[in-house]
Amino acid sequence: MFARAAKLGDRRGMPLAGAFAFAVLLVAGPGLAAQTARASEYQVKAVFLFNFAQFVDWPAEASADSDTTLVIGVLGDDPFGGVLDQTVRDERLNGRPFQVRRYQSVDEIKICHILFISRSEAGRPEGILAGLKHRPILTVSDAEGFAERGGMIRFVTDRSRIRLQINPEAAEAAHLTISSKLLRVAEIISPTGR
Amino acid sequence: MSLRDWPIKQKLTAILLLISGLVLLLTSAAFVTYEVVAFRQTTLKNLSTLGRVIAANSTASLAFANETDATEVLSALRGEPHVVAAGLYDKDGRLFARYPAVLPGDALPAAPERDGYRFDHGYVIGLQPVAEVGNPRLGTLYLKADMKAVSRTLRLSAAIAAGVMAISLLAAYFLAAVLQGRISQPILALAETARAVSTRQDYSVRAPKLGEDELGVLTDAFNQMLGRIEDQDRALRKSKEELRRYATELEQRVSDRTHELQERNEALRRNAAELLAANQELDAFAYSVSHDLRAPLRSIDGFSQVLLEDSAAQLDDGGRAALHRVRAATQRMGTLIDDLLKLARVTRAEMRTEVVDLSGMARDIADELQRTTSTRQVEFAIAPGLKARGDPRLLRVALENLLRNGWKYTAKQPRPRVEFGSIDVNGERPFMVRDNGAGFDMKYADKLFGVFQRLHSAAEFEGTGVGLATVRRIITRHGGRIWAEGAVDQGATFYFTL
Repeated sequence: MFARAAKLGDRRGMPLAGAFAFAVLLVAGPGLAAQTARASEYQVKAVFLFNFAQFVDWPAEASADSDTTLVIGVLGDDPFGGVLDQTVRDERLNGRPFQVRRYQSVDEIKICHILFISRSEAGRPEGILAGLKHRPILTVSDAEGFAERGGMIRFVTDRSRIRLQINPEAAEAAHLTISSKLLRVAEIISPTGR
Repeated sequence: MSLRDWPIKQKLTAILLLISGLVLLLTSAAFVTYEVVAFRQTTLKNLSTLGRVIAANSTASLAFANETDATEVLSALRGEPHVVAAGLYDKDGRLFARYPAVLPGDALPAAPERDGYRFDHGYVIGLQPVAEVGNPRLGTLYLKADMKAVSRTLRLSAAIAAGVMAISLLAAYFLAAVLQGRISQPILALAETARAVSTRQDYSVRAPKLGEDELGVLTDAFNQMLGRIEDQDRALRKSKEELRRYATELEQRVSDRTHELQERNEALRRNAAELLAANQELDAFAYSVSHDLRAPLRSIDGFSQVLLEDSAAQLDDGGRAALHRVRAATQRMGTLIDDLLKLARVTRAEMRTEVVDLSGMARDIADELQRTTSTRQVEFAIAPGLKARGDPRLLRVALENLLRNGWKYTAKQPRPRVEFGSIDVNGERPFMVRDNGAGFDMKYADKLFGVFQRLHSAAEFEGTGVGLATVRRIITRHGGRIWAEGAVDQGATFYFTL
């Protein structure tokens, strides 16, 4: 039940929708579970995006000119709706607040730490990735073959579970350090082949 | 046997053992307690360390909902056999992963409770928040470890403590057994000495001194006391011995004296009996001789008278004078025989005792003397009222002899005087007959009362020398005494008791 990993039960600042979803989960039987899971797939992904910040170290210059705010960007059509905003609202990592920005093109991206590339843009990831080359931006997408094609992290939906594929070489190239813990729970993809 | 009757050795040993035992017990208890507390803390700390490590490794699994990885992380607990159960809860409090794979339903709580590590019903329970450092909480790790290690530690340290205690107590016992002697030995020696003294009365024993401490001082004092007692005992024995010797000696002397006295008594009795027999014999002899002598004497006197009357003419003056002398001698011999017969009669006469008026008797005798010899004037001073118990006939003989004696020996005195009375002499009150006559020399005093003993010649004072002997016989027969005092020409005094 991936929903259990969702950031829904936070007692201190529980978002209303989260509380609702939690209530639904509590009352809903197993028959409703799949439907609920589908409905909350992007809730899970939003939490994952938020959680990546805990397991990735950005180089110093990435945050020097951005005050202390951590920026999560969404490139292309936003599949999250308001879920992502709700997820990061009032959250802080080491005292840094979050901000969600939405981009329609790579050129708009100035300061960004985690970038979710929507399926609408993922058809041509090479172009996008080339535009972001060497910038310390963690690129995430759920597009097919994203990691093999130079992306850093891909969400893989496997029988209602969301798995991770990580391309460490790409992250390394962008001077990002991905925690070994994160690597351990993910499938490692190496596009250069070994 | 109550504790106060224990021998001092056992008491000391027991006290030492008790103290060391108590100290050891407390120390061991402290040791075991410390061990257990420390081990519990260590256990808590170890479990919390373990929890932090597991939690740190579980962050990604929780963050990205990877149960497989979470289970794998938890399975590392296999290396810690005392962890019996573990569970990973997500931040909604739902069980996410468990260890081991197969668990009884109630092994893990449905939802995590408050954070922290604590002991609970024989287990150590740990609830560790799971989060990246400085980041929001991702979930909770639940750990449950058994206390077997703690109880094993407890058992081990208890066993060690028991072993240490046993060895220490054994050592303490041997040490106490050895060291208590330092204190008990002098006391035992003192007690042994005291027992020897009291049972054997042997004051020559001395308690051995084993040190210069208070017991040494006590031993010295005890020994000094024994020394003094020994001296006194010796002195006492000596004086007892002396006393016994004296007593023996005294006894011996008394028995000797008694024996001697008995012998003397025996001899005296024998002598007395012999004397009595001899006296009786003598008296009888004297009587018969005196009696038998009178007949020839009467013949001599008679025929001498016949010669003088019938043949005076045929005799010359010398013959007549001789015949007169014969007659005088026979008459004197007759008087002598009469006196001897009187004396013998006194000795043989039967005693008839009654109260006798001595004063009256003396006056009668004095009157008779004056009447028969009117040529002399003698002054008689007779005290009135003197009485005594005795035989009147014999007493008259005695008194007559004494008064006639006084009369006789005052013949040459110009103012003759004879006194009869009673005076105090040395606490006695004897009767007394005193004259102012010729007297006598005191060195012959013991001869006065002998038969035929005379201090004066018949020419000077006539007499036979039987009178005072007769008096003494009479006084002696009455159980009294008679003695005399006098000096030449100073008169004589005769005292007698009855």
